[in-house]
Amino acid sequence: MTDAGFNLIPLLIVAATLGSFIVSGLRARSREMSDYGFGGRYIGRVGGGAAIASNWMSAASFLGMGGLLYLQGYYALAYVIGWTGGYVLLLVLMAGQIRRFGKYTAPDFVGARYDSPAARLISAGISITISVIYCTAQFKGIGMLFAWLFGTDYRSGLLLGGAVAVGYVILSGVLGVARNQQLQYTVLIVSFILPLMALAYKLGYFWMLPQFGYGVAIQDLKREFGINFAAPFASGTLFQWVALCFTLMVGTAGLPHVLSRFYVVPNIRDARWSLVWGLFFIALIYWSAPAYAVFARLLEARAGMVPPPAATTGMADIVVIRTAVMGGLPAWMIGILAAGATSAAFFTVAGLLITGAASLSHDIYYRIINPRASEVTKMALAKGAVVVLSAVVLFIALHPPGLIAEITAVAFALAGNTIFPAFLLGIWWGRANRYGAIAGMLTGVVVTFATPLFGGVVPAVADIFPLTSSALFGAPLVVAVMIAVSLLTPPPSEEMRRFLAEQVHGHME
Amino acid sequence: MQQDRERYDVNLFRPRQGYMTGEVAIILAVLLGWGMVNFGFQAVLRLLAETPAGEGIFTRLTFLSFPWHFWFTGQFLPLWFIILCILFNIYIDRHTERHSRRRDRSHD
Repeated sequence: MTDAGFNLIPLLIVAATLGSFIVSGLRARSREMSDYGFGGRYIGRVGGGAAIASNWMSAASFLGMGGLLYLQGYYALAYVIGWTGGYVLLLVLMAGQIRRFGKYTAPDFVGARYDSPAARLISAGISITISVIYCTAQFKGIGMLFAWLFGTDYRSGLLLGGAVAVGYVILSGVLGVARNQQLQYTVLIVSFILPLMALAYKLGYFWMLPQFGYGVAIQDLKREFGINFAAPFASGTLFQWVALCFTLMVGTAGLPHVLSRFYVVPNIRDARWSLVWGLFFIALIYWSAPAYAVFARLLEARAGMVPPPAATTGMADIVVIRTAVMGGLPAWMIGILAAGATSAAFFTVAGLLITGAASLSHDIYYRIINPRASEVTKMALAKGAVVVLSAVVLFIALHPPGLIAEITAVAFALAGNTIFPAFLLGIWWGRANRYGAIAGMLTGVVVTFATPLFGGVVPAVADIFPLTSSALFGAPLVVAVMIAVSLLTPPPSEEMRRFLAEQVHGHME
Repeated sequence: MQQDRERYDVNLFRPRQGYMTGEVAIILAVLLGWGMVNFGFQAVLRLLAETPAGEGIFTRLTFLSFPWHFWFTGQFLPLWFIILCILFNIYIDRHTERHSRRRDRSHD
């Protein structure tokens, strides 16, 4: 780890930040209805954008992206582009139409559009799997952060941090803490940018807009130390870059907790403009993340440190914090950075665990197993599911299968290969039916995990469907399967086709 | 029966007369700008590369002190996506208003 021993001041700042969110949430609760999942009062287009950005920011954005850029340089810009360009797809192909359709969770949409409990069950299972994979990445970040804060190893940090995170989720749920996502976004952006400005100032670069002033540092790295951070294809081929970027884009447009955001906005026009603000707020952080990676390389080079590849991979996911430590920033400022990273991971974990648990309780138990279940039973089951899902995530995170952003990318690949085609054709092709949707989503699941399943037997599979980048060929394949199976089977009901034509694609806003 | 089916037909590549035709035209234009500028630039970068790592004219030029290609991908493209989203919203807003004024309920 970067800094042996207990980091008291950062720890106090992290604790105070999380505590302040609970207190402000409790105060807000008296003014508005609390929401268990989605909802809340209307907050305007800019506020809606901040909520979209806050909902989006996770340990992958805060820690993982910087880590991969540190390891791979230009190649990892595919994450920056994938995770911003996906919002264009989301806006032009889905946002307005989903709002008009009126179903806000992936299983609700799939179940209603395709009029099929089986399709709903499959999409619920996929949504829960996406939540678990995404949460695993967050838990890895939380584990590394807590290990650094308490000066312990990763395993102890994970167990401690995981317990605190789950405790935070349960406490928030029990107390009915309202989520103020504008406040959350403000904390995230300030905690990410402020230390970066300080770092740029200390290193002698343009510090007022550090996200646009680190270009000289890239050139210094190459001229003084021969490190070519900007070499385009040093870490991967054009195909690998495009496949990764495309997968992250369609995954963004198919991620259940992103699709659900359009529920809180009262009309379609505001939903569309909120998304633009959201993308701008996200870009503010993504323009900055590469600067941390460049400064990390520069600080190492100036200190004469050339860590071996295994060591760089091991510490990449916490390189953002490590850069602040190496740069000699004051402990309170590193604490702010750590608080931002912890908050991003905790909010994401809270959102995903609650969504996953609600899906288990509502879409699987209530809709399929016991339609006569009471609200009390459903709520009790949802709370139990939070604990069970947390345990599953914690178990996987003990031996994390990759870097934070890589693990997250698998969740995007799964969403891009399953939910995205089901929504795309569900909205834009009236002939798509339940058989097509079921065949397509099952194909998408197989395609996503084709490399671990068949890569050993047929090596070409790993080239065509790389685990983090399978949607370049996967999503079109799933669309083709959906079209073929739909055409070979009876069309959906006339009622649904009429609803699509008149309500979803009617023009009145 | 066949007529009813066609009446309710929704297909991105065969938009219904009226509002949807204009909407689909705007969507396809934005998607073209989205795909060409992003993936197209990476392909050009590869085509003009002089070394296996991709060094070439774009990596030698600089803009705002950045290697030109790094600035384009890391900074301009996210901005480009924001511009595309703004253009999309402006055109869709206008398109919607135009049809609302005409009371062109083409689906009726």
